[in-house]
Amino acid sequence: MSAGTDGATPGSGSLKIGATVGRFELERAWLVDPASGREGPGEIVVTDGILESVVWLEGAEAAGVTDKGVVVAPGFFDLHAHFREPGFEDAETVATGSAAAAHGGFTTVALMPNTAPAVDDPGVLGRIRSAAAASGSPVGVLVYGAVSAGRAGDQLSAMGELADAGVIGYSDDGAPVKTAKLLRSALLYAGMLGLPVADHAEDSELTAGAEASEGYVASVMGLAGWPVAGEVQAVSRDLAVLVDALGDEPRARLHLTHVSTAAALDLVRRAKASGLPVTCDVTPHHLALTDEWIAGARRWAWEALGAAGVPRDPWADAALTASPYNTSLRVNPPLRNAADAAACLAALIDGTADAVVTDHAPHTVVDKEVEFGKAANGISGIETALGVLLALVDAGKLPLARAVAALTSGPAGVVAASSRTAGIAAAGPRGLTEGAPADLVVFDRSDRWQVTPESMLSKGKNSPFVGRELPGRVLVTIAAGRLAYEDPLAAGDES
Amino acid sequence: MTTVASAQTDKPVTAWHHRHLIDVDVVSWPEIDLIMRTADEMKGILARPIRKVPALNGRRVTTLFYEASTRTRVSFETAARNLSADVVSVAPATSSVTKGESLVDTVRTLEALGAEILVMRHSVSGAPYLAAEVFGGHVLNGGDGWHAHPTQALLDLYTMRENLPGGDLRGRKVAIVGDILHSRVARSNIWSLTAAGADLWLCGPATLLRGMDRWAVAWSGGAIPGHGRFNVTSDIDAALRDADVVMGLRIQRERMQGGLLPSLREYAARFQLNAKRLSLAKPGAIVMHPGPMNEGVEIAPDVAISGCSVITDQVANGVAVRMALLYLLAGAHEAAHTEAAR
Repeated sequence: MSAGTDGATPGSGSLKIGATVGRFELERAWLVDPASGREGPGEIVVTDGILESVVWLEGAEAAGVTDKGVVVAPGFFDLHAHFREPGFEDAETVATGSAAAAHGGFTTVALMPNTAPAVDDPGVLGRIRSAAAASGSPVGVLVYGAVSAGRAGDQLSAMGELADAGVIGYSDDGAPVKTAKLLRSALLYAGMLGLPVADHAEDSELTAGAEASEGYVASVMGLAGWPVAGEVQAVSRDLAVLVDALGDEPRARLHLTHVSTAAALDLVRRAKASGLPVTCDVTPHHLALTDEWIAGARRWAWEALGAAGVPRDPWADAALTASPYNTSLRVNPPLRNAADAAACLAALIDGTADAVVTDHAPHTVVDKEVEFGKAANGISGIETALGVLLALVDAGKLPLARAVAALTSGPAGVVAASSRTAGIAAAGPRGLTEGAPADLVVFDRSDRWQVTPESMLSKGKNSPFVGRELPGRVLVTIAAGRLAYEDPLAAGDES
Repeated sequence: MTTVASAQTDKPVTAWHHRHLIDVDVVSWPEIDLIMRTADEMKGILARPIRKVPALNGRRVTTLFYEASTRTRVSFETAARNLSADVVSVAPATSSVTKGESLVDTVRTLEALGAEILVMRHSVSGAPYLAAEVFGGHVLNGGDGWHAHPTQALLDLYTMRENLPGGDLRGRKVAIVGDILHSRVARSNIWSLTAAGADLWLCGPATLLRGMDRWAVAWSGGAIPGHGRFNVTSDIDAALRDADVVMGLRIQRERMQGGLLPSLREYAARFQLNAKRLSLAKPGAIVMHPGPMNEGVEIAPDVAISGCSVITDQVANGVAVRMALLYLLAGAHEAAHTEAAR
């Protein structure tokens, strides 16, 4: 299989990133199309960047094609990533982040505004767009504006100008919207503009100095605890303020990002049931990892869950196989216990969580090869998200179609829910639609890949999976009809 | 408790095979026993008119203390010198650390300068594991954050065995009272004392016990091989009643600024180890404190110097236990004996 340029002989070598895909055919693969809700054996043909045909195979033609092999899905959409430009280009740039995104199967990313300077006026947004254009990558780059000027939590950013310049919402991510009062203003003003406010829900007073999720593991390891109440309190505040704001501005919308606890997800579940315009997302690491990894355990969250939903004891299980205090596991919100991870999964399956986001947070060695309590928060996760979700699928915990939807139609739906962004391409159906520019990922579930500093395209090597294998090798990512990523082995495959 | 009993009947070990000592959690009971027996030998040396043996002659011990400490650093350096080791003392206030040098760079530099055993103290939990990843020699933890202080726990155990009839902790009630939340001494003692089979009680104001109950609940089944359950309570009377050993922990003034304590006066009124409260303990119970003490706060001055106090024994035993650990880590023990079966 090979993606060839217009006029090139198939299999003659790899195509340049960013070039329009002249001809790309895939026979007898497993297609997953969240837009139509359909999945099954099929074939696709891309010609001159357009998804020319999608054929669903039936009967004898479909024989032997399973969802355990090569899978074709719409390109993934990450609602929450940090590409660090401008300001922290040692950790990541728009170019390296886009390459990493495509390696992870993502064709669209939404970047958080905690750059330096923050995206609090259109000028910074322009710099990011220029960097995206100069990167040559076809990965679509969307940007959140800051809620507050300088993300300082005092005054509103240039929200109207940012809306005119095309931000998809507002967030002070990295930190919560500082006060309830400011959040109320932001929800009203953003609602007026037809955009959502995305909050990192954390009560900073309760979490001051925190190093790990409060609980058994943190207690044993002498790490300052980040209590569940820190998230519950913040989500409660946000929902209360949303209700208040809706009284004045019915277009106010709230998105809660990287929700990590069972208790906070329950609040969101009830809020949604009562009809509040709130959406939320969870991350791969909160679905699949737990705080016991900090102690040195390396088993999946669902393997760490004991009877009656009580987390198992990694010390009693002699499950501690790695060196403790690995700083690639320091992340905010922190890794929780196996019961909270199970709650994140339940929320994803029942729709309480609309999307899975990577919270891709690359950092330099300087910021990570330090004492645990001094290490920067964040996991470089945009390349490993698919593998983590496929581990859940392999374990029988998550249907493949739901995993794909969480990375495609789910995030698109969040963006589509706001009036100003409802019409943009990213809010589109994200399906395998004939006649549209090809925007898709091809990955092989029968293959695995080794996560190493060399195999990661992100500058941030701060992944807890370094040295481990993940299922599902991405073979090709095509964004807006252009080649975004091609596996080196697949590129050389003459078949 | 069967696991504890079986751990204590394991056959004695005569060889040490841990490259580093960062916490007692990975040290088996027979290995702890080896440390105790080695400390006995070291104590014999300390009783001689000339307290110096050539065991670590020419070996290089470096102390790297990121946190102010007089007694622990001096105890380690005395122990090293008693074994004839060359001692280099690095104080971050006068080193490149104040210029922003990272721990990793500092450790690499000290190794290049010849350090073989690195004794370190650090304010961040887990820091010695990072040092151990990049250091070619041996790391001996002199206390990290709230996490661990293994040499203190081992000298505490040594002192308890020395002062209890039969030298056996099994079934003996040990109460540790004070700021458990922020205490690396308490955490390391949880591992060693539950391994020893003691009836361990942790006591303090609820604000300074936070999180510890989750640990106690997790161990309530006695699930961890070699370790038993322990108790967590704010009821000082329940903790002290019929105790064989009572250990006070330092209460720091910062805890009031942090909103965790109303006042030192109120702490003293409710939790101070004084003669009246200690009358609840068993006759002959011993009183311990890792120091430095706030006399009049967590411990009454008369108690600190009373006949039941073994606080100065702890200091003296600290040198013997640290000599034992330096000796074992340096591999001197293996050289002096034929290799024991693992």
